[in-house]
Amino acid sequence: MTTRPLLLVLLLAATGCGTPSMYAWGKYDDALYKHYRNPGEREEWVAALKTCVLEAEQEGRKTPPGLLAEYGYALLEEGNTKEAVVYFEKEKAKWPESAVLMDKMIRNAGKRPPAPPGAKGPASKLESKR
Amino acid sequence: MTRPSRTVRLALAALAAAALAACAAPPKKDLGKFMAAQPRSILVLPVVNNSVDVTAGDYFLSTVPVPLAERGYYVFPVNLVKRLLEDDGLADASLVHGAPTGRVGNLFGADAVLYIVIQKWEAQWVLVSTSVTVQLEYTLRDAKTGDVIWQDKRTKTYSSDSGGGGLIGAIVNAAVTKASPNYMPLALQANWEALTYPGPGFPAGPYRAEYKHDYQPGAP
Repeated sequence: MTTRPLLLVLLLAATGCGTPSMYAWGKYDDALYKHYRNPGEREEWVAALKTCVLEAEQEGRKTPPGLLAEYGYALLEEGNTKEAVVYFEKEKAKWPESAVLMDKMIRNAGKRPPAPPGAKGPASKLESKR
Repeated sequence: MTRPSRTVRLALAALAAAALAACAAPPKKDLGKFMAAQPRSILVLPVVNNSVDVTAGDYFLSTVPVPLAERGYYVFPVNLVKRLLEDDGLADASLVHGAPTGRVGNLFGADAVLYIVIQKWEAQWVLVSTSVTVQLEYTLRDAKTGDVIWQDKRTKTYSSDSGGGGLIGAIVNAAVTKASPNYMPLALQANWEALTYPGPGFPAGPYRAEYKHDYQPGAP
């Protein structure tokens, strides 16, 4: 019985390499990387961000700075203005440093015309520019 | 007592010079301006890419938020920032880097702005060995004054003939064999190194427990 805590400590030491993370990042950096590698795969990007957000909330660990806003922006690009504003508000409430930017995002989200059917966010927008 | 011979004196002088040189390297960073600025939030701008690999800028950008935010600062959402700048006609990162820091900072309400330039992001194949190199320059500016408050430069190289190379080596090596080298482990390593404090990095931000308690004036 006395060896149990020791094993646990050893296991923690072995798995958590370096200092433990302050935030529940999930696969945020990986999602970002994949988004830049395959900008056309928008659904994967939005889904990956959603997973990050939900996991952080479920684990009860701290949601990292920027994540809620990033998800909000992905929703905005999908034309989901109402949900986007919810996440901009959440970012602002959690991180007062984001207030200036989030206020802007919330203001502009209201002005943004609803996405025309078939619009697929910035990927198709960028292509049409070229 | 006889005076030390000329050779001994020369040798001593050389030793003293060597000792001084050893003390001087790595050069001490002056974090005075950083401490005066006391940023709470950091805006990471799109990366200027001077390498021939056109994908390097975006790929590298994805490695920055995690280690930076873990230092205890609010880090603005990098992709949202990038897209907003693109919408404003600033798709070219060098245009953004060339704009006045104060104006860019104000736009987002940031305390400090981080400029990153990729100087090298390359792989070289020589006979049977491969070497992969990334070189990055980091500059943090105070959004109010535009002053540089911290700077660092990292070069990371992995060479397949350096024998083993540990875990990083194994990861890079596995990628190299597929003919498309994976620079990401080296990029990550460069970031973690650059942001270590005490070390090349800067003191912890307001979201870390050691905030305001870890500053060592004149720490390397």
